Parts: sequence; C-alpha cells; structure tokens
Amino acid sequence: MTKVTSIARQTILLVEDEKDLANEIKLELERLGHRVRVASVAEAADAARVGDAAMLIMDRMVHGEDSLKTLEVLRKERVKVPVLVISALGSIDERVRGLKAGGDDYLTKPFAMAELAARVEALMRRLDDVRTTKLRVGELEMDLIEHTVHRGDTRIDLLPREFKLLEYFLRHPGQVITRAMLLEDVWQYHFSLETNVVDVHISNLRKKIDPRGAPSSLIVNIRGAGFMLDDDA
Amino acid sequence: MLEFLRSSAVRVALAVGVATIVATTAIFGLVYLQIRAADEKSNRLILEDEAAKSVNHTVDELRYAFEIRLTHDLRRLDYAALFAADGKVMFGNIDELPPVALDGKSHFVAAFRVPGSENRVQPAIFVARPRPDGSIMLLGRSLLETFAFRRTVLTALATGLAPMLLLTLAIGAFFARRASRRLTAIHDTIAQIMKGDMHLRLPVRATPDAIDTISRDVNLMLDEIMRLLVQIKGVSDNIAHDLRTPLAVVHAQLERGLESPESDELRGAARQALGHIDKAMLTVAALLRLADVEYGPKSSKFQTIDLSAICADLFEFFEPLATSKSINMTLEVRSPVQIQGDGDLIREAVSNLIGNALKFTPENGTVRVSVTQEDGRPVIRVSDNGIGVEPAERDKIFQRFYRTASGHRVPGSGLGLSIAAAIANLHDFDLRFEDNRPGALFEMSGRRRP
Repeated sequence: MTKVTSIARQTILLVEDEKDLANEIKLELERLGHRVRVASVAEAADAARVGDAAMLIMDRMVHGEDSLKTLEVLRKERVKVPVLVISALGSIDERVRGLKAGGDDYLTKPFAMAELAARVEALMRRLDDVRTTKLRVGELEMDLIEHTVHRGDTRIDLLPREFKLLEYFLRHPGQVITRAMLLEDVWQYHFSLETNVVDVHISNLRKKIDPRGAPSSLIVNIRGAGFMLDDDA
Repeated sequence: MLEFLRSSAVRVALAVGVATIVATTAIFGLVYLQIRAADEKSNRLILEDEAAKSVNHTVDELRYAFEIRLTHDLRRLDYAALFAADGKVMFGNIDELPPVALDGKSHFVAAFRVPGSENRVQPAIFVARPRPDGSIMLLGRSLLETFAFRRTVLTALATGLAPMLLLTLAIGAFFARRASRRLTAIHDTIAQIMKGDMHLRLPVRATPDAIDTISRDVNLMLDEIMRLLVQIKGVSDNIAHDLRTPLAVVHAQLERGLESPESDELRGAARQALGHIDKAMLTVAALLRLADVEYGPKSSKFQTIDLSAICADLFEFFEPLATSKSINMTLEVRSPVQIQGDGDLIREAVSNLIGNALKFTPENGTVRVSVTQEDGRPVIRVSDNGIGVEPAERDKIFQRFYRTASGHRVPGSGLGLSIAAAIANLHDFDLRFEDNRPGALFEMSGRRRP
C-alpha cells in the first residue's frame, strides 16, 4: 500500500473566501505534495463534474452563500469526488447537515493545519475496499470475518474497542491519524476532550500488538498531529 | 394643564364622575317616583273605601258621620257632602258637585275652587257615588300638602346632586393627579436608568397596588440585567486573560527565536509557540461550543436515549486512563434509564465530569460513576475521593473560566463544568456539587416536574 501517485496530478480545489486562511491551507497542502487551486463554488463544481478535481475543500459559507446546496446538486448528479466541509458552525446539528448534504468529512474552525492535512490525506487515499476481508501490515494480519488478529502465528486477543482501533489504523496505513479522527470514527464522540485518554488506549494497544522487545512501535507518535501506523515496519 | 386633562388618568376620573352622577340621578328619580306613587295610592284607597262603606247609611247617619269626620279626622278627609238627585247640596262643606264621574272611583281634579273663597284653587281627589235613594255622596281630599311634600322631596334630591357632582370630580381629579405624579416619577427614573444609572430602582410603597407590583417586576428585571452585566464583564475579563497569556508567551518566544542565529533554536521557539496557540485555540473552541449549547437553536436530535448505556460506554472509554493512574474506577448501573435528549451532548457532559474526577484524584484514589432512577427522576452521579472543592469556591466552579486554586496547575480551558451545566440545563436537568467527604460529588439529575 504505497502512495497513490495518479491522484497527485489532479488538483485539490479549495473554496474559501477568507484569503489568509485559503493561502495558509494552500501552502500547507502544497508542502505535502498536493496541487491546490483556490476556486469559487461554481468553478470547483465544474472541475469536479469533468473529473479534474482530486477532492474539494469547501467552506460552508462563501460570500454569505451556503455552499452545501451546490454539494447536494453534485451528489444528485452522482459526482463522487471526496469533499471536506470546513465551517465556523460547530454544532452537532450543523455537522450532521454537512455530512447529509454529501460531505465526506466535516471540520470546524478553528482547526490546526495538521488536523486538516490528516483529514485531506485520509480522504484522498480512501480506498473502495469495503469488501476486503483481511487487512495486513508487515507481520500483523486482521481477519474481519473471523474477528481475529495474528502476528505471524501468534494470535493476539483484543477487546472489541481495541479491535476497532487497530482496524482504523490498518485501513489508513502510513497516514497521519489525529486524536479527533479517532474519537469521531472509533468512538463516535463528537466533542473535544481535555484529557489524554486516547493516548492511553493507543499505548495499551501497542503493548498487545508490538513484538516483545521491539525497538520501536508499529504505531508511532507524530509530534503535534497524532499517530501513524508505520507500514514500512 | 392641557397635558393634565389629556392624561388617561384624568379621562378615567371624568368617566367615573359622569357614571356616578347618572347612577345617582337615576336612584333619586326612582325614590321620588316610588314615594309619590305610594302616597297617591293610599289617598285614593282611603277615599274609595270610605265611600263604599258609607253608601248604605241613612241620611241622618251620614250627616252625623260627616260632621264627626270633618271635625275630628281632618287628616284623612277634607271634603264631604250629600247632593240631591238634582245636584243641589243637601248638607256638607261643598256647594257644588265637581266635574267627576259618579262611579265610586277616585278622580283627580287639578284646580278645585276652595269653597267659601273667590278664586283660591287647589289640586284634589274626589269620589262621587250615587246612593239607592238617588242622592249623590261626595268625599274629597285636598292634595295641597301632598304636592308640597313632593316638591320638598324633589328640591332636596336636586340640591343633593350638585355637591355630589363636585365631590366626585374633585376626588377623581385628586386620584388622577396622584396617579400621574407616580407615573411621572417612574418615567423619570426609567429615563435616568437608561442614561446609565443602573443602580436606581423604581419606587415601591409598603402596601403595594397594581403600579407597585409592576414597578417591583421592573426592579427584579433590572436586578437580573445587572447580574448578567456583571457576569458578562467577568467573562470577557476572563476571556481576555485566558487568551492574552498564551498570546504574550507566543510573542516572546517567536521574538527570542528570531533573534537567535541558530535555526534549531528558532525551531524550538516555534514549537513552543504552537503549543501555546493550541491552548488559545482550545479556549476559543470551548467558548464557541458553550455559546452553541447555550444560545444555539435547540438540538433537533432529541430522541429516546439510555443514560445507563451512555455511562457504561464512557466508563469503558475512560477506564484505561484510570488504570494508568492507579485509580480504582467503578460503575453502578442497574437497569436502562431512558430520557428524551441528545446522546452526543449528554456524552459530552458526563465525559467532562468523569475527566474532571480523574484529573483531580490522586493515585490509588477512587472514582465512582452511577446511574439510578430516584422517585422517577434520572440521576447520574460522578464522585471521587480526591482533593474536592474548598467551601468558598463551591458556588463558583460552574462559572466560566473558573479554576480552583489547585486546578490552575492542571491543563484545561476552565469551561468543562460550564459546558456540562449548560447541557444539563438544556435537558431540564440540574447539575449540583456536593461534598463527598473527602472529594467531590457531581450529581446531574432530572428536574422535578412542578
């Protein structure tokens, strides 16, 4: 599961009317090797229709207009481009509305660039492998049907939540996973926590999946962002 | 003065005055008419009765009776006479038959000439009745006194009306002036309050009437506005403080980094600066979240949720953290406790409580989470045996940004309990602190339905 290079030629279209923020997002994503173009809602929609967009990043309100309407139209036309909605409206209702309109992920301002970058990576590399029954990284193998995990020949017993946590990492190998992403996708908690509970869960998981005496963990800390499953291990 | 006349109080006073006068006049008129009718009726009955009784007496008996009556019973009978069939008077004190029907009924004669005088006339009533022998008996009564009495009553009533009218108007004007003076006072006070003198209050008397009741309500409203103003001021002070500190630190760190020739040092400064900016962003995010819960549109996601399931889920989530801190965490859940609510919000509130408990409980301490149904009310309790809250600080912990003296060492936005309280309130729940002796006990319970 190496980096998908074909997508890199396509462009991320960024719909954001706050110029400074748009510029920062553009610079950050370009630094990570993406091509980014700041566009109007209509331009972004047109690019998505002809398949020129790797993904759309849309502010919910652009020049006082709700861009979710355009997104709904795109989804009705069966345009499948990944869409990340960013918004100053943070209530859970708003988030649900954004996802219902066809957004694949929803991020509330203010956010850290690392958070945005992690989400963009996750969306760009989302694989249509829902039917996959086995996930593997190095020696670690997860059987989704049998609900078992093996490292080599050794069976590893995981609690249901630990299983879900590991599954999430295995589905996003080599990608930065933020704590907020884990809270939202593994626990379905849509609020920020002021404790390091997630780190404790990760460290418990590490103890189970890492071989005894291994020099470094399979799940590494990414400073200022979160964690990553090291797929070269 | 014109303004005074135009005031609604004066108009009400005038209307009441007119109504009083009309009512009084009507009552007086009725009394007068009743008196008059009763007097006249009794006179007529007496005459008719006398005539009926006397009609079968002999002439001599009649003559004797007339004399007795006219001389001894002046009050009831003024005139009595017997006339022959041809109209000539036989005896009595009237010479001439007055123009009345001979039917034994009383008849009113407006101007009856007084016998023995040239042209003195009086009002009177007469009864004329033919006797079996053809002669005609006449009885009569002068109405001079009756009429005089009526005039007296009428005059008395009429003269009574004038002072009545004046008195009513005077009382009306007095109350109108007093009411308008009070309203003016209220108006002036409100004008001053609006100019910014928020400490003024409307006057309220010891024995309150309708105006006082409203004044009191307005005063309570002013108290509430004052309280909110103070609170807003406190909050904005806190926001300013909580944001200024990390911003100032960031500023200093970046400056220091730029002045150093080493790029490693710059990198280190930038990294530290990012940490502080994260802290500021945490505060901003928590503030926005709080505003969203408190003032945002009520969540449309209210549905039947199970508090027991939510707390069990959170327990599972937090337990590894408790274990890593060697804290004994227990969960007491007996059966599903269902409420109407927003599961995501309740999860957030309870996670704030559990997170707090774990934060302030030392190693080898205990944190208990329980969900019960008491008197039909759902109750969630999160308790610990940690450092607890000083008595002086207990009513402040739900305030925005408040951190206990010991809590300042622990990272956080200081908004967790405020958010939990706002979420509880949104669900008609109360969030209370109680002393766990030692430690803290937070109880989130459904409000009793009034």
